[in-house]
Order: sequence, then C-alpha cells, then structure tokens
Amino acid sequence: MTSELSISQEKEAAVVHEHDEAGNSMFGFIVFLLSESVIFLSFFSGYVIYKTTTADWLPAGVAGLETREPFINTIVLVSSSFVIYIAERFLHRDNLWGFRAFWIATMAMGSYFLYGQAVEWSGLSFGVTSGLFGGTFYLLTGFHGLHVFTGILLQTIMLIRSFLPGNYEKGSFGVEATSLFWHFVDVIWIILFILIYVWQ
Amino acid sequence: MTNIPIESIGVVAQPRPGAPDNWRRFFSFSTDHKVIGIQYIVTSFIFFLIGGLFAMIMRGELITPDADLIDRTIYNALFTMHGSVMLFLWTFPVLVGLGNYLVPLMIGARDMAFPRLNAAAFWMVPVVGILMLSSFLVPGGPSQSGWWAYPPVSLQNPTGNLINGQVLWLLAVAISGVSSIMGAVNFVTTIAKMRAPGMTLFRMPVFVWTVLAAQLIQLYGLPALTAGAVMLLFDITLGTSFFNPDKGGNPVLYQHFFWFYSHPAVYVMVLPVFGIFSEIFPVYARKPLFGYRVVSVSAIVITIVSGVVWVHHMYASGTPGWMRMLFMFTTMCVAVPTGVKVFAWVATIWGGKLRLDTPMLFALGGLINFVFSGITGVMLASVPVDIHVNNTYFVVGHFHYVIYGAIVFGIYAAIYHWFPKMTGRMYYEGLGKLHFWLTFIGTQLNFLPMHPAGLMGMPRRVASYDPEFAFWNVLASLGGFLLGMSTLPFILNMVSSWIQGKPAPANPWRAIGLEWLVSSPPPVENFEEIPVVIAEPYGYGKNEPLIETKHSEELAEPA
Amino acid sequence: MNIRTVLTLAAAALLLAVISFWMGQQAYSWFPPQASAESKLVDDLFSFLVTLGSFIFLGVTGTILYSVLFQRAGKYDFSDGPPIEGNITLEVVWTAVPLVLVIWIAAYSYQIYDQMAVRGPMELVHLHLPMGMESAYAAPTEPDSAAVADPLEAIEVHAKQWSWVFRYPEQDVTSTELHLPVDRRVRLMLESEDVIHGFYIPAFRLKQDVIPNHVIDFEFTPIRTGKYRLRDSLYSGTYFAAMQTDVVVQSPEDYRQWLADAAAQTPTVAYNQAAFEYQRIIDKALIRGWKSIPPAPAPVVNYPGIGSRADEGLDSEK
Repeated sequence: MTSELSISQEKEAAVVHEHDEAGNSMFGFIVFLLSESVIFLSFFSGYVIYKTTTADWLPAGVAGLETREPFINTIVLVSSSFVIYIAERFLHRDNLWGFRAFWIATMAMGSYFLYGQAVEWSGLSFGVTSGLFGGTFYLLTGFHGLHVFTGILLQTIMLIRSFLPGNYEKGSFGVEATSLFWHFVDVIWIILFILIYVWQ
Repeated sequence: MTNIPIESIGVVAQPRPGAPDNWRRFFSFSTDHKVIGIQYIVTSFIFFLIGGLFAMIMRGELITPDADLIDRTIYNALFTMHGSVMLFLWTFPVLVGLGNYLVPLMIGARDMAFPRLNAAAFWMVPVVGILMLSSFLVPGGPSQSGWWAYPPVSLQNPTGNLINGQVLWLLAVAISGVSSIMGAVNFVTTIAKMRAPGMTLFRMPVFVWTVLAAQLIQLYGLPALTAGAVMLLFDITLGTSFFNPDKGGNPVLYQHFFWFYSHPAVYVMVLPVFGIFSEIFPVYARKPLFGYRVVSVSAIVITIVSGVVWVHHMYASGTPGWMRMLFMFTTMCVAVPTGVKVFAWVATIWGGKLRLDTPMLFALGGLINFVFSGITGVMLASVPVDIHVNNTYFVVGHFHYVIYGAIVFGIYAAIYHWFPKMTGRMYYEGLGKLHFWLTFIGTQLNFLPMHPAGLMGMPRRVASYDPEFAFWNVLASLGGFLLGMSTLPFILNMVSSWIQGKPAPANPWRAIGLEWLVSSPPPVENFEEIPVVIAEPYGYGKNEPLIETKHSEELAEPA
Repeated sequence: MNIRTVLTLAAAALLLAVISFWMGQQAYSWFPPQASAESKLVDDLFSFLVTLGSFIFLGVTGTILYSVLFQRAGKYDFSDGPPIEGNITLEVVWTAVPLVLVIWIAAYSYQIYDQMAVRGPMELVHLHLPMGMESAYAAPTEPDSAAVADPLEAIEVHAKQWSWVFRYPEQDVTSTELHLPVDRRVRLMLESEDVIHGFYIPAFRLKQDVIPNHVIDFEFTPIRTGKYRLRDSLYSGTYFAAMQTDVVVQSPEDYRQWLADAAAQTPTVAYNQAAFEYQRIIDKALIRGWKSIPPAPAPVVNYPGIGSRADEGLDSEK
C-alpha cells in the first residue's frame, strides 16, 4: 500500500519535474549570464593589460575623463536595480499597476543612462581609433551600453506582455529573468566605472 | 497515474527515418532532439568531405617540394579553410549531434530542455558553412591567415575591400560561437534538470559526464574567443588599434584570447570521445567500466585544468620564462586525469570477452592513436623540446593523431554503435571492417611521417619546402589520398544500410543503457513512461536490472 | 599472484625497457646535426622522453593487443566477463605514478631550459615578474668556455615580408646570409618590420617569434662549422614558405675574413624568392592566385649570398 502510494507520488514528481519549464529556463538563463560575464571579464583583463603596458596611454591632447556626469549616471543606473526589485515585489503581491509604475521607472532610469552616455560620447575629443585608450574606452562602454539597450528592450516586451490577460498564470519567468539581467548589467557597470573612471 | 500526459497521447512506434512519408522532417525546423541530432551528424559529415577535399588538394601540392600545383595564395586559403571547416563545421557539430541524439535518451528525458533553441542552434550551422565557403567567391578569396587568424597577418587586407575573406570568416566564427553557446546552455540545463528519477550524478553514463564537461568548457572558453574576435573585427573594419602593432597595439594579446579558448576547444572535442570509448569498451568486452566514478570525475578535472594551459601554444611567442615554466607544468598535469582514463579502459578490456565488431575496432584503434598522441603531447609540453618542434610538422602530426586518430575514430565508432538505434537498421559488418582498416592504415601513413619531418625542421603551413623533406611528404600525401578513399565504403555502408539494411532489434549489442530499452528507432517522445533508474550504468556480468520494473512491489531506493 | 605471473611480468617489463632504451638512442638520429650547444641539451631531453614514452606506449598497446588476440569471446559465447568494477590500490597507483613522472619530466625540462638560457638580458614582456631562470650559459662543458662566456656584440636580425637581413653593427655590414663564428656565445637582436615572424634554425634547435615593435634579445652558441637552414617558423602571409636563408658557421678566422670582405663590397640587390615570384605573377609568367600583399623590395646588402636553394628548383621548372 505504502509502496504503491510512493510509486504514484514518484511518477507525479517525475511529471512535475519534466514540466518545470520556468525552472529550466531560469537555470539556463543563469548559465548563459555566467558565460556572458566571461566576455566582459576578457575585455576587462584586456583593458588592464593595455593600461599597464602601454607607454602613451592617453592620446595627445586628452588629459583624462570627466567623472562628474558619469558618476551621476552611475547613481541612476545602480538605483534602478532597487527600483526594479520593488517592481518585482509588487508583481509577487499581484499588484499589477504598482508593478507597471516601478517597471516604467526602471526603464526611464535606464534610458536616462543611455542618454547620458550618448551626451558624454558626443562631447569627447577622442574617437575609437585614438590609440588603445580610445579603442578600449568605446569598446567597453559601447558593449555595456548595448546590454543596457537590450535590457530596456526586454523590459518593454515585459511591459506590453503585462497587459495580456492571464499572462502571469504560468509564472513570471520573463520578468524575473529581465530583472536578473538588469542586476547583471548594473554589476558590470560598477566594475567598468571603477576601471575606466576611478582608476585613471 | 492517470494524469501522466504521455499515456493519453499513446505511443506509436515512430516510422523509420528514410521512409518515404517522413524523410522531409530532416529538412524541417523539427524540435525533436533525435531529428536534430541526425541533422547535425549528416550536415557536418558533408562539411567533413569538403574539408577533406581541401586537405587532399594540399597533400597534392606537398607531394613535390616546389609550389607548383596551385598558387601560394590558394594553398594558404585552403589550409585556412581546411582547419576552419574541420573544426567549426565538422568536429564540433558532429559531436553536438551525437550528444543531442544520445544525452536525452541516456538520462531518461523526452527531449532537450529547450527544443526550439536546439533547432535554432542547428540551423545556424548551415549558415556558418555557407558564409565561410562563400568567401571563395569574394575578390581576394577566403581568409589566408589560418584558422588561428593571428594579427598582424589577419589585419592585412590586400584588396582593401570591406567585405573580404577575413571579415566573412570572422562573422562565420561568431555565428558558430553563438550556436555553440546556445547548445551549451541547452546541454548543461538538460543534464542538470531533466534526468529521470533515480538517475543520480553517479548513475549517469560517462558519455553524459563528458558532454557536460565539454559543454562547460564552451561556456567559459568561447566568450574569450568572442572578445578577441570582436576586437579583431574592429581592427579590420573600424581601424582600431587593439592588435595592430603599427598603431601601438599588442598582437600577442590576441594569441592569449585565442588560445584561452582554442586549446580547451580540443578538450571540447576529445572529452565526448572519451565518453564514447567509455560506452563502447564495456559493451564489446562484456565487463563493467573499470573505475567508473574516477573516470567520470576525471572528465571534470580535465575541464578545470584545461582552463590554465593555453600558454603552451605560445612558448616561442616571446612569453616570459616564468610563464613558460608554469604552463609547462599545468599542461603536463593534464596527462594525469587522461592517463587515469586510458588505464581504466585498458583494465576494462583486460580479461573480458571481446567481440571485434566495427565499433569496437574503431574504439580500439582510436585508443591506440590517442595513447601515441598523448605521449607526443607531453613531449610538446616540455619547453625545450617545444622550442625546437613548435610550428613544425611534428605539431601537425601530433594534433592530427588527436583529431583524426582519436576523435574521428571515436566518432566513427559511435556512428556504427548507435546506427541501429538511430535508423532501426543494421549496417554491413564487412564494409565496416574494410572502412576501419583503410582508415587505420591511412591515418598511420598520413600522420606518422609528419613527426620525423617536423623533427628535421620542416615548418608547418608551407606551400613549398626543401627537397630533404620530400620522402616523408610523399608518404604523407599517399596516406592522405588513402584516407580520402576510406570514406567511400563508409558512405556506401551508411546509405545502403539505411535504405535496405536488416531491421535492427531494440538492443542488438546486448548493451546496458536507457537508450537500449526503447525501440529502434526510438518513439517520438522516447519513453512510454519515464524510467526509474536503480543501478549504475555498467552492470555487465552482474545480472541486476538498470531500471525499476513496472508496478514493482519493492522499491529499491527513493529517487 | 603466483611466482610464474611475476616472472612473466618482470620479463615483459625488462624486454620493454630494452626496446625503449634502444628507441631513446635512435631518437638522436631523427634530428638535424647538433650545431649548437643548446641542441645537445634538447636532444638529450628528447631522447629521455622517447625512452619513457616508448615504454608507456608499448606497455599500453601490448596489453591491448594481448587482450585482442587471446581474450576474444567464442562465437556462441554470450556470457559476460567478470564483473570487476575497480580496484582502489590500482587506481591510486596509476594516478600517483603519472603524477610523479610528470613532475620528474617538468623538473628535468626546467633544468635543461635553465642551462639553455636563450633569452638575453632583455625580457620581451614589460611586466617584471620574478625571473629565476636566466642563469648559466648553455655550454659550460665546451672546451672554449672562456670564449663562450663572453657573447659577441649583438647582430641585428631584420625580418620583413619576406626576407631576412642581418646587420653587423660594428663593421656596418649587411647580409642576407647569417654568418656566425663557431664556439662563441652569439647574441642577436631580433626585429620585425611588419608582421610576426619566427626565427628558426633547426640545426640549433632554437626558435623565437619576432614581434613587431619589440627588440628581442636572443643568445646561443654554435659549436659546429657548416651551412644550415634558417626558416621563418610563424606563418607570415603569402610567401611565408619562401622566407628561408642559410646560416654559415665558420671558424673565427674565416668569420673575420668574411666580415672584412663583405665590408669592402658595395651593396647590391640580393636575390629574393618572394619578390621574384611576385614579379613573375605580375609578368603573367606564373598562374595567378588571389591578390597578395606585395613583398618588400629585394634587400640591398653588402653580401647578397649565393641565392637560395629553392630558386634553383624553381628555375629548372619552367
């Protein structure tokens, strides 16, 4: 009797196990992010090697990077990590409008960051071909900016989806993954900011 | 019990692949891992033939010392394309294909974790192939900087066009990288999350272990290559100076990015072959795999150690002495877990009841070739020896023994071994044996003479050479042509067996493993009922069941 | 294990050891002549590795072959073999023995590398990390060790696509052939003008990549007079294979004489295989392939050598 029961429980466990698609997706997404972080790690180590071994690091006529605006940008981006967390909390409590409000706030902060970076880029006196300094600067900030842009794109999709009736009945994997991605992009930026702006 | 969805679907034996009503699914965006597996294997085999053709033209050029058969630029383009096609379009995808077909069956899953991602990853392979081969049609021809694409040579652009062979090559490699990462995420998730009840880590077949180990390498290694490739692409197209010495760049840094991935990439290829060996020896020797747990764990050890050996490709690149010594030691350390595996296989075979069917012949031949290449590998790890033989034909001989002698042999072994499972047909044993002997002799004749040529100082990648090397090169060329011929009985065997071979039973080799418990070919959803595993995977001679029988009164252990 | 098994195993091991030792001795004949002090060290190491490798290879393949020949299943024997799943002692032994071997090989290689000391005082990489291995010169056993210990003034080696030019700064002599005195420590300054090349003299067992924007210090000791080949070892583009020249090791008197003679000559255009072939393609005398980076003009040097070996073959071709 008991063994019969445990068999059927096991079978059911197997079925649940098999259909835990959101769990699999989240696992796969984390694996992907870990792998993605190695690209950044490679760029960072390249940057460190270039900076420590190049004789004329700054191109002629460039004194260094302005840190004030990028710092404000950093504050905005890092704070958005908390804002997106609040949005997620609202979703867990099934407060959709609260979720949407904070979600849109995150998107706005991300967009402000991108705008700030565009302004910074346009005001710089050096280009991508200005030696290793110019190359690595635009490579790192550009590659990170691409990730921020991807994050905002994902957030837009999630926002639109939130208006579909019954969208969260099967779980909120999309929102959780987007949020995780956003934290990832933030952490990368903190390292990047320290490497490029603080360590001059 | 009633809520098991598969029961309501009902299990219909899948029609045989190749039957007129369903051959089309191999050309469709199928999400069945078994279809995708076969798609990978067949597609990559076509590229294997193309890459082999390039090799035979090169061996034709090298049969005489002068650069007389083809122009030097064509020769350089051919060896670039030979290496790139063989790695990115044959060895990687064929092993992904075998993994795709076998892993879900072996762990008791109905499919991979992400079937659509799986199909998307596969369909990138033909795109990579078309992109890479289309570079023959652009002005200036394909990339001529080798599959390693070292700058500054890869930055030199004789035509001045933006769309040139090198750029197309980089794009193809990038797409191949995306496809591989998608595959790796899929494999790791499948193995981590989709195992049948009772299939604990130490009940997984070694093949699954090695696929996991290999795909973990893809995950940590490929991004480094991607980073290097992006920087190289910017150097070529935007004029940045990352690797361009004319503008203060550092070309040696590219070599670090490249080898950080491309050395472990060898393990991405050889690890699944270790898995294949571990599956095949117990079946045809009728003995359990010797030291199963140690063999499994040593695969993961190789994954870790292979991440810290890459500088051994750069001993001569102006690497500081301390780095040479450090990486010499780490490289030699790879020999330890590898040696453990080799000894375990020998112990598995020893005292068994051997049957020399074609899969066993290929596995044994592959093992012998692998031992040889492992020994030359340790020689190459030694800095003073490597300073002499680095970039000579000794290295070419060494890695062809690995890649052809061990890996391609392992792939052939796997294709023969699982052919009845995949197609539901038996292959012709006689043709298989003929194929083995042609391949084995061709391999020795082609690659063994490369070692003395290299020791005498013949550089690799040359279109012409000094006459003193002619003897060894003639032998190698003859071997190369023989290897080309050796694919003919294989193709004949595969095609004719698939069309009209004897129908295969579910388990023609009396092998133990979940894949052998289902029909040949397996039904669409693999398992009528997900099996509950209760034993380790190699219980030969033990007479114990691998899975729980239905409605068993005694549960061996909980899942 | 009975006494007979032990004896059989011991006899087999002895036989293997004898064959392996013989293979190790054969290994010396697989190389070009030993023309530098370093080559002796490398050959000894390689011979040791061949001995060890032969023993392992023959041991493993011999065991497999025995199984294949004598442990086949009968045609109708469908039974399984003994279910032996492992043996902890054996597994520990075959993990420990390779580990010890590997440490031994690494230590021996380190020692040889230390004796070679082919890197001069300047290290290529800027990061100055601990360097424990620039010590003794390679040839303490040589008779002229006093002369050996004092390296010659650095000879400049200029690599470009696709030619080698050697410059002797003291006499301001340029040459497309590398002339060196025997039994003297020689110092080279390797420089590249375009891509990475590889400076490789098989008879010396020495190789070093030549990296643009760096001057690489390289030291060794030729010990045998004669003519040897110098090859580009790192793929450098279209005419890579043709980028070869000769190294002539001479007695000190002949070397000085050669330098004096060369200094007296006015510079002339040397034969250059790459430039020659490229011109023939321009003239449509050869079948054209894809567009190539044009070779640098043939070098103008005091001593243009006597042409490379490869061109003789090519001239006779058409």
